[in-house]
Amino acid sequence: MSALLACSPDALLLSLRVVAVTLALLLVAGVGLGYLLSLSFPLRWLLDALVSLPLVFPPIAIGFFLLMLFGRHGVLGAPLHARLGWELVFSFPALVLAAFIAGLPLVVKPVQSAIEGSARVLVEASYTLGKGRLETLWRVVIPAVRPSLAAGLTLGAGRAFGEVGITLMLGGNLIGSTETLSLAIYNHVLDGDFTCATRLSLLLGGISLVLFLLLRRLGRL
Amino acid sequence: MTELSAHLAFRRPGFDLRLRLALPGAGITALLGPSGGGKSTLLRLLAGLERPRAGHIRHRQRLWYARAAGIDLAPRRRDLGFMFQDHALFPHLSVAENIGYGLARAPDRAARVTHWIERVGLGGLAQRRPGQLSGGQRQRVALARALAPAPALLLLDEPFSALDASLRQSLRLLVQELVAETATCALLVSHDLEDARQCADRIGVMIDGRLRRLDEAEALFAAPGDAEVARVLGWPNTLAVTRWEGRAACGPWGRVELARAPRRADRVVALLPDGPRPGARAGLAVEIARVIDMGPYRALSCRLPDRTALRIHLPRALPCPARGERTLLDVPPGCAIALPAGTAKTIQSTRYRP
Repeated sequence: MSALLACSPDALLLSLRVVAVTLALLLVAGVGLGYLLSLSFPLRWLLDALVSLPLVFPPIAIGFFLLMLFGRHGVLGAPLHARLGWELVFSFPALVLAAFIAGLPLVVKPVQSAIEGSARVLVEASYTLGKGRLETLWRVVIPAVRPSLAAGLTLGAGRAFGEVGITLMLGGNLIGSTETLSLAIYNHVLDGDFTCATRLSLLLGGISLVLFLLLRRLGRL
Repeated sequence: MTELSAHLAFRRPGFDLRLRLALPGAGITALLGPSGGGKSTLLRLLAGLERPRAGHIRHRQRLWYARAAGIDLAPRRRDLGFMFQDHALFPHLSVAENIGYGLARAPDRAARVTHWIERVGLGGLAQRRPGQLSGGQRQRVALARALAPAPALLLLDEPFSALDASLRQSLRLLVQELVAETATCALLVSHDLEDARQCADRIGVMIDGRLRRLDEAEALFAAPGDAEVARVLGWPNTLAVTRWEGRAACGPWGRVELARAPRRADRVVALLPDGPRPGARAGLAVEIARVIDMGPYRALSCRLPDRTALRIHLPRALPCPARGERTLLDVPPGCAIALPAGTAKTIQSTRYRP
């Protein structure tokens, strides 16, 4: 462990923090958006397209557009900086945003499919038994989509750990500040330090495997 | 006293439903009809799970839906119970939790759940999950869950379709008993004639999105109204009539005497499968195309001279002609009725398919 920490002492902790926060956000947004997208409302297609975009759009390009959007002179970044003094890019929230956007479709899509499939009739049964949307969401939808949610979160967490393209653009790859585990591997390779790159790659793979087994177990409960 | 009246129009590509329906305060009304006729859609419209294009649904004096007035009550406000075709039991909840799901939190809630568990014969299974139950047990849970909140209207969508014959029979009786006990108004849709015959006080026939007939069961079977409705009600043989000779219907297939004189609009004669008997000295000339042993009776597919098909049931005790044999079929007048065709496409005989 000490050998690992000697390679990039802060990267592991930073990645774990990013993934933890991202998973919490993905859990809420995945269920909420999955449920919302299973309903029919105007401009549903637009929301669906936006959520699905990271599946087909190159991450580096998404990162670039987000940088243009949230940068100090960006459409959203400028007013945020002027009014709140808040700068998103090159910060911890930027890393979370990058991981969240990359992982979002991987959580939302399975949940949406589950609700539109077998869970739909359960939702209808709940309505006819006198329950409203929120109670149905809590008591029927979430338990019914738990296996899909667990599968989505597994993929989302894996994606969050391995995210490079968007993170590089939004986070800036600042060593000691926004250098995640994946970026640390990338940096070690650039430096020619293949020993550290190998150790960190094995560590990243091991963490992903543990997370995968854990979430699978949760999905089966 | 529950009164429900609905006047609905609903359209989706390739389907148009348009009907008026009034249900009495209590008892079971069954809607029969071929698949795709709009029966399940009607239930979903009544429950508020789909929205009609026009019309209204009134329950007692309360409007559930009125397009013109902008009224559209959510399903949870409609005071109804819905038994879904595939049960729709919550897989993560136990039998007791499923049955209690629709009950308000009240001191007697647990007692009511226990009452329903016992009433549908599931004592000892309260803590089982739906996945640990048989098809019949799941159906009982679904019935208890729908009835437990004491809805004014119970909607049953093909409730017995996934069950074997003996289970169907016992569940039909259970549904009948529970609906009578709770004085609920129930609307049952099915494509199975036996479901309607055994459960319902009134029977309606829905074909292609239209309610073609709705009447007391006895009156409906005695006078189906037209040939299409007759087929749904178990008259499998329809013969196109080319001319009437008094009470006799004539066509290229032969001649059949009826018990009563035809009306002006009648174009078809419908024959029951159970009355005609082969081996007569006079009657319809037929060739036996197929004999199927059904256990208590034999089902004979007969071919008339114009290749019209005729299906008859012969009790096992009677001598049965062999396949390929030519014989004369006696058709007692009580087994045949004259009917209007229904729609233009039904003014043709049931054809023989080799």
